[in-house]
Order: sequence, then structure tokens, then C-alpha cells
Amino acid sequence: MGTPMPSCEHIDFSKLPIYKPDVECTSRERIRAIQLAKLIDQVGYTYDRVAWYRDQMDEMHVKPSDIKTLDDVRKLPFTDKSALRLTFPFGMFATPLDEIVEMHASSGTTGKPIVVGYTKEDMDVWSECIARLAQMAGVTAGDRVQMAFGYGMFTGGFGLHYGILRIGGMMIPAGSGNTERHIQMIEDYGTTVLIATPSYAMHICEVGEKLGFDWAASTLQIGLFGGEPCPPGLKAEIEARMHITCTDNYGLTEVMGPGVSGECLAHRDQQHIAEDHFLWEVVDPQTGEPVAEGEMGELVLTPLDKRGIPVLRYRTHDLTRVTTEPCECGRTLVRMDKVRSRSDDMLIIRGTNIFPSQVEDVIANIPSLSPQYRMIVDNDEGLDRLTIEVEIHPDVFSDSFEDMNQFTHDVTAKLQSVLLLRPVVKLLEPGSIERTLGKAKHVDDRRRG
Amino acid sequence: MSISQISVFVESKPGHLGNVLEGFESANLSVRGFSAADTGGYGIVRFVVDKPEEALAHLRERGFAVRLTKVLCVKLHDKPGELASVLRVMAQAQVNVVYCYSLVSTYIVLAVNDIARAEKALADTSLELIDDDEIAALPVRQAL
Repeated sequence: MGTPMPSCEHIDFSKLPIYKPDVECTSRERIRAIQLAKLIDQVGYTYDRVAWYRDQMDEMHVKPSDIKTLDDVRKLPFTDKSALRLTFPFGMFATPLDEIVEMHASSGTTGKPIVVGYTKEDMDVWSECIARLAQMAGVTAGDRVQMAFGYGMFTGGFGLHYGILRIGGMMIPAGSGNTERHIQMIEDYGTTVLIATPSYAMHICEVGEKLGFDWAASTLQIGLFGGEPCPPGLKAEIEARMHITCTDNYGLTEVMGPGVSGECLAHRDQQHIAEDHFLWEVVDPQTGEPVAEGEMGELVLTPLDKRGIPVLRYRTHDLTRVTTEPCECGRTLVRMDKVRSRSDDMLIIRGTNIFPSQVEDVIANIPSLSPQYRMIVDNDEGLDRLTIEVEIHPDVFSDSFEDMNQFTHDVTAKLQSVLLLRPVVKLLEPGSIERTLGKAKHVDDRRRG
Repeated sequence: MSISQISVFVESKPGHLGNVLEGFESANLSVRGFSAADTGGYGIVRFVVDKPEEALAHLRERGFAVRLTKVLCVKLHDKPGELASVLRVMAQAQVNVVYCYSLVSTYIVLAVNDIARAEKALADTSLELIDDDEIAALPVRQAL
């Protein structure tokens, strides 16, 4: 499983220090023992402090003391986004708010965002997980690390930021947007590491090339990619054109943020899961039953030390498979395949989670539009672009272009405020969108790579 | 004095404008003039027809987004300076021409931001405005 490839040009992974070798390279037995001890503690902690879980477990006649082996995790209820939405904002928190030192949020399927909170200990675990994967990718204390994620409620920005500080690297907190400024900063400050979504990194590459920037001669060495999966073809292209080594990292807000797993340089497109902090299961999305090792299934995660907002058996809707074979890098932590597809209809566009149901809700609340819509995603011009086609109701039609443009503008603004991404809105004639019996196919994802 | 113009929302895709014309054809309507421009993904296509109320009902029934708008129709004489003259009258009266296009023969449509003001300004000139009845009755000579 996975393709062993020769070590990357610039970085010899065998010479990279491992952040926490006593855990990352220990025996499978010891990892499982660590997980079991933590799981028992975590389930008890969660049961005592979070009413939602206590109610669920009582209903299922499961007590914390029933958890004696790792397999017993299957006695526990699954958790989905809906639970976090129903308990918005702080209903799932296990500690009083004054013990929460930082809050983050990500988009829910509809309406309310998903809110998470971190205690000081949680922040510590988070930084450690990031430090591990950054070091895995070749980042050292001497690196100058430029952030091209947005800082803000999303976990990507601050999560990576704190982790890099843990390694001792220098953070250049540029934030998202203003590509030319990013390139100028790389030149001015001698940036060595770029943190971005893979599609934004490609965009920076292309803008640089157009400006005559010489990537081969630049100080940039490493790309740390997250927010969306990086197709292998795209990674190879970015590495060739920017002359850097790129790795992916994976995570989700609901269980912590980025840092759940990271790619080492021995096996590309596979990521070591921080197993001492996350108990993983790979299950059949329909039945919830575990699949055999090496088989594709839905990743279910139970964070093992979360104090602020614990979750048990969180269904990620990400499809992957794992291997516990030891890796050439020396780590024995399980490897998961890079996530390429989901078991639900969520899209990731420019690193942002988008659900068709969000679009549906906005449109349903605009009487001058029919409830029909179509979402087209392409990357013809480099970056992801979302076009939303809607049908006008005859009553909203006006003989004035100004009015029609204003209407388009208003619809765009409403969608943007919910999606947190600016779509291109196209008005269509009434009846333009094909009505289908049965499940409508609302999304046409034409992205290459 | 104004005329009733048909405006239709039409996607800029092959065949879509044709659908509107087929609608007119099936109702035996005559087009006296029309205007369609490249305004991106869709256009507001304007028509002057001999029976606007019928056209409106017919297109509505067929599911089009359609509207009737009051615009001015000026009958020009076929000599140099006529068009310049009418636009001068508008400018001097501080009336803005939002859009305009020509119809059969020497008739033109002016869509203005203030119809009453435009009518008043034109009343003092020899320029002739026509109404829906005259549009309907227009005899059209075949081009040679």
C-alpha cells in the first residue's frame, strides 16, 4: 500500500528528527495500550460532564465502565455534525467557559456554524500534533514560515501558527489574499515554508511566473498543505514548478483542527495519524460496522484527550483506508490514505466546506427565484470557482439592466454571507433547469487534477 | 403619447431567442422592430409588435419572463440630421435616453428616464410621435 518513492530531492527524510520518537516509533502494542488507557478516561470524563452524551449512553444502556477494550468503543454512540448544531453554541462543552482559552468555528450544513472550544491542555495537544507533522515535513527551528491561510474562525490559520511556534520556527502571519504581496514577502523576508491550500499555492506559483519571479532561485523549500486534499498530479506540478517539497496534513474542526494526521516524506499521499491523541475507526458508511484493514471506509475519530469539547466516534464522512505496516521513516503510527472522496455531498472549494443544502436554504428564502439551482465548480482559471445558476421568477424581471444587475448582486451577497465564499451567480430563464424525478443532481464538479 | 414595448429575459444561448420568435409566429404576430445586445449570460431583448397585449399574454403562457414597458416611438423623415435633431431635443430638455433602437422604415424607439418631460420637449418640434394603433396599422413596404 502506498508507493515507496525515492526521498525528495531536497530533503532526506532519514535524516529528519522525529518529534516524539518514544510515541511515534513505539510498538503497536504500546500505542494500543496508550489509546485504551486514554479512552477509558475520556469516556468517563465525557459521560460525567456532557449531558448530550450521558443521555445518549443512558438510552443505549452503556456505562463508562463497559469500556474495557478498544473494541468496546463500538458500544458508544456515533456523533455527527447535527449534534454540534443542535447544541449550538456551547451545549457540548465539558468545561465552564472561563476554562476555554480559544474558540473556533467552521461551517455547518445549514444556518449555524459548528463551534469548538479549547482549554489550555487542548491547545497544548494541538500545537504538539502540528509540531510533529511539520517536523515530519522537514520544517526546523531555522525556518521562516509564511501563512497563506486566513487567520480567523477557521482552525487552519491559528492551528498551524501555534504548531510552528512550538518547533521554534519564525511565523510570518501574512494571512490570505493579495497574492502579489505574498510573493514580495517571500522575496523580502526569505520565506522558506509556505502554508496554504494546494490550489492557492498553485495560484501563487502561476502569478509568480507571470511576474517573472524565479521559483528555482527563491528561498522557498517546503509547502505545508491543508484545508482540502491535494490531488497527486497537482502536488507533482507544484513541486516541479515551485522547486519545493510539499506535504499534506489532515484534520477537522470538530475533533481539533489540522493535526490529526500528516504526511511523512517516505510514502507520498499517505498520512500518519497521531494515534496517541486520536482513536481511529474505518467503518462501512451504511452499516457503521468496521471494515478490514486496507479496505476503504468512512473515517471515524475519537479524540482521546479533549477537555473543552469532547466528541466520541465522530463521523468525518471522509473515505479512506489504513495500514499499520511500519513506515520507512521509522514511525509505527498508522498511515491513512489521502482522502479523495466523501460519503456525503460536502464540497471543499478554496479550502472552504460548502454544502448544497446551504445554497438550497438561501434560494428558498428568495421568493423571486424558483427553488431550482445548479452548482458548477471548475478550476479553469487556476483557482476553484463556484458558479450558482438560479432561475428567475417572471415577477422579478425588469426592463432595466441596472435593476437586474442589482438583483444579481443582492443574491450573490446573500449566498456569500452564508457560504463565506463569493460565487458567480448566473440568472437563468424560468424553467431552464431540468426537473428530475427522484434525487436531483445539483452539483457539477468539473475541476481538473 | 407612447407605445407598448415587449421586453423578454433571454439567456444568451443558441436557440433561446428563436424560442421567443416562434412564440410570436404561433400567435400570428408581426414584429415591427427589435433590439438584442451582448450583455453577458443573458439579455433583455426588446420587441415592438403589432399586438403587444396579445404578445404579452402569449409569452407569459409559455413561461417566459416578459414585461410591457412604455417607450416613445418617433417617426423621422428620411433626411440627414433627423436623428441628430431628436437627440438634441432630448439633451436640451435634460432627458436621458436610456436605450434606443430603430424599427421598420424611419421609426425609432426612445426609452427615456422621464417620458412626460420628453413628450413635452417634443411637442414644441415638428417631430412626430406615434401610438400603438399606428404601430399596428403600419403598412410595410418590401425592400427592393
